[in-house]
Formats: sequence, C-alpha cells, structure tokens
Amino acid sequence: MSMPAFRLERPRSVAGAVSILAAHGPDAMILAGGTDVVPNLQMKLFSPRVLVDIKSLAKVCRLSAIEWSPGNGLRIGALSTLTAVCESLLIQEKFPVLARAVATIAGPLQRNMGTLGGNLCLETRCHWYNQSEFWRKSLGGCLKLQVSDALAGKEGPVCHVAPGGRRCWAAWSGDAAPALLTLDAEIEIAGPAGLRRVALAQFYRNDGMDRIALGRDELLTAVRVPPRMAGRRGNYRKLRVRNSIDYPLAGVAVSMDVDPRGVCRDARLALTAVNPAPLLVKEVGEWLIGQTASPELIERVAQQAIRTAKPLTTSGSTPVYRRDMVRVFTRRALEEAWRETAGAPV
Amino acid sequence: MTKHLIKLKVNGEPYEVAVPPNKLLLDVLREDLGFTGSKRGCDDSSCGCCAVLIDGAPMLACVALASSYQDCEITTVEGLGTLDGLHPVQSGFADGGGSQCGFCTSGFLISTKALLDRNPQPSLDEIREALSSNLCRCTGYMQIYESVKLAIERAAARKAANPAGARS
Repeated sequence: MSMPAFRLERPRSVAGAVSILAAHGPDAMILAGGTDVVPNLQMKLFSPRVLVDIKSLAKVCRLSAIEWSPGNGLRIGALSTLTAVCESLLIQEKFPVLARAVATIAGPLQRNMGTLGGNLCLETRCHWYNQSEFWRKSLGGCLKLQVSDALAGKEGPVCHVAPGGRRCWAAWSGDAAPALLTLDAEIEIAGPAGLRRVALAQFYRNDGMDRIALGRDELLTAVRVPPRMAGRRGNYRKLRVRNSIDYPLAGVAVSMDVDPRGVCRDARLALTAVNPAPLLVKEVGEWLIGQTASPELIERVAQQAIRTAKPLTTSGSTPVYRRDMVRVFTRRALEEAWRETAGAPV
Repeated sequence: MTKHLIKLKVNGEPYEVAVPPNKLLLDVLREDLGFTGSKRGCDDSSCGCCAVLIDGAPMLACVALASSYQDCEITTVEGLGTLDGLHPVQSGFADGGGSQCGFCTSGFLISTKALLDRNPQPSLDEIREALSSNLCRCTGYMQIYESVKLAIERAAARKAANPAGARS
C-alpha cells in the first residue's frame, strides 16, 4: 500500500493546532499515535490535504500528564499513551475498569504509540469498509465510503450490512470509551472559542458515518473522571479472535460501588463494538442499587444488556454470537466485581 | 510532493535526509538509510515485523511518519550488537531456535530488548505479554520464549562478569 500525498503540520501549541484545523476545515485531519489513522490513510479511506501531527504537543499544556487530586478527580491528557494509562498505578488502584480495558487494546507495540484521545476518537469499523481501495471499488462502495456514481450503480451507494437502510452501522471499536462511560467521564475539547467540557456520553452520535460530536476545528485535549468514582471496582471483558492485537467484536465494562455487606450502592454497565457508539446500558443502575448479588438479578441485567446490543454483520464474527457473548460477559463481569468488593478471592 | 530535510538519530548516529512528508519511518530506514533489518510485514500495524525502539520504547515503524520522530533516539535491530559481539538477545535467539524464516525476528529482538531493559527477570507471562504484538508464522512461539529465557541468562551472566560496563 502507499500513502496519499498531504502536507504535514506540527503545531507548537494547542491554539496553533486549532487555528490550522479552523483554516482547513474538512481538508485537515488530526494525527496522534497514528495506529488508526495511518493504516486508514494507506487504505485511502480518506485523503486529507493537511495532516496535523499533534504529537509535538505532548509536552505542552499537560497534554500527556496523568494527574489526580481528591478535589478535582482524575485528569488524563489526551496524548497520554495507552501504555501510560494502563501502567499507571494510580489508575490501576483507583479506576481499575479503565486500566483493565486499556490493557486489552491491540498489543504492547500499538499501546506504546496509540493515545487515549485517539482511542476515544477512533474511526468506526466495518467489514465492508476497512478493506483495500481495489476491494471497495469492486464492491461499488458503501454508505460510509462513497465512490463515483458510475461504480455505485443506479441506486447509489448501499449499506451491505443492512441493504435498503440509510443508516451506517459501522461498529464503534474502542475499548477505553465503555470503561470511561461507567466512570461518568467528561472530556475537554479545545476550539476557536477556548475550552469546553462535555460528558463523554454526549460525545458519541451512534452513527457509523458521523461518529463523534467534535467540530472540524476542535481538538480533544483531556479526559476527566470525577473524584466520587475513585475506588470503584471494575471489570472489562472483551471478545476477539486472538488474545492480542485485535479490535473488540464485543465488550462489556462494569463499575460498581458495593458496601462491606455486599449491597450495591451504585453501578454502571457499558457496551462496545456492538453498536455504532459505545453505550451505557439503561436502567440497570436502578435495578442494582440496594441489592446483593443473586443469579436472577444478574441474569436480568444481562438480558437488558442484550437489548442494548445491536450487532450486525460488520465483522467476521456473527451477530448472534456477539450478542450472546454480551450476555455471558455481563454476567461474568458483574459476578467478579461483586466478589472483589466483598473481599473474597477472585 | 515537496521533500523536506529532516534529522534523524539512528543507532546513535545523526542523519539528514530529504523526504516527502508522507514517507513512513520504515521506508526511510530501509530505503534512504539502508537499515533493512526492519521488515514490512502486514503493512497495517498488526504484525510487529517493523518494530524499532523510539526513545527506548518499541514502536511500529510502518505507521510512523519519519518527520514526526526527528527529536527521538531510534534504535533498529542493526543497533543491538555486532557480528563479533552479539547482544545477549541476538545470541539467545540464534542458539535457542527462535528464528526460522527470520522475517519476524528483528521485531521480536526489538520487543525482547525493550522488555529486558525494563525488567531483566521477566516471568513467562510477562514475556508472552511483551511479545504479544509480534506475530511469527514459523516457530509456534515456544522456541521464541525459550530463546528469551536464554537471553535472560546470558544477559545476567554478562552483567555478573562485568557489572560496570555491561551494555544493556
């Protein structure tokens, strides 16, 4: 494969990066670790005229710092490498769901390059999209990757996952986002008007073509987790073909606050890779509060998780299997989180 | 595309090379600087054949733009040892049967070097985890893990024999 032509910008400040992005609009693209963007560029999934390499910002504006204070909680600079996040003793101790989820991302070489911000802004993935240019053209393109009308045929581009539909089902394939959703994380976004903070749950659009609510002139700069989430037990379970390198085919993140008697004070559950967005499973928090572990309750929560999961044929694995694994992983992740908090050996 | 003069530091030596902005570090190392030890395997960041150390951490040169790594110390497999003085990781792989066709080997050597620099006495689980970005289609990995154990012993012996001057 070969790289498309582009101009490379290496800004020296966040404001500099934002002004380059603002000047070029849809022609510019952000490059951080490169583990997602560069292979996608080689496949010609997109062809920006200007690539804005923000690695040069790692040492400025705390963009690669991991900080904690009891008053402000956790702040992780968006350029922190995935290795730095999952090896942080602070994160392992206070926010285990995040450390565990990030430790499953790709493999150690990719984690040394990939950044937390990059994982939160990952391109959605689909069997019909993440293919070579030749392969895609032979197919006549798809909703997410439009090709010329001549190739697409009379009806225009169609979705090969759900023919007839006008919605793109490319799967959200990040592992950090579901963990951070269970921790009520917020993100910091820099733009022409300065910094804004937004709940991570509001960042994802659940649309395979338009995955995140990030303006073309904006840059994700940090992730914040409120101090009240510190110390929650947490687990992340991930389905993949190999135990390394692969993107998730399904993933379940759980965070729980359980009192010493084993009564749940608060709990959150989020799924990944089974929808175009990472999604919190609704209502299960209320069901779990005030309860102790029971097989019936856990099964009820697992059934609710299945209702949230809408996997389609976006990968080599079948939707039936992925949905069923959501149920199994939900059960296992909840059981483990409960056991850990009760002080019993896991 | 316009070429730009960039400065790279590879295996301790400074280089200046004129490259277009879209040129990957792997291609600059192989084509412009002649360090062909780093291999192009999958070409999409999932096999580890192109691994090099960047400021001591193993990374994938096939998804790195050369221009982005100008201020870094880059070490390729050529920088590990010499023909007369193999690095313990190299001699461990040579004698432990850790290499068959050899295509993935330089990536494994780089990942192993990075592991032993951080953790001179890793457990088998730690070895497996550290090498889990590197794919080998020949050995089935068992000989590779044995080779790493051999490398650990040899590095420890070398350090014991020469505590002050041992190269990592």
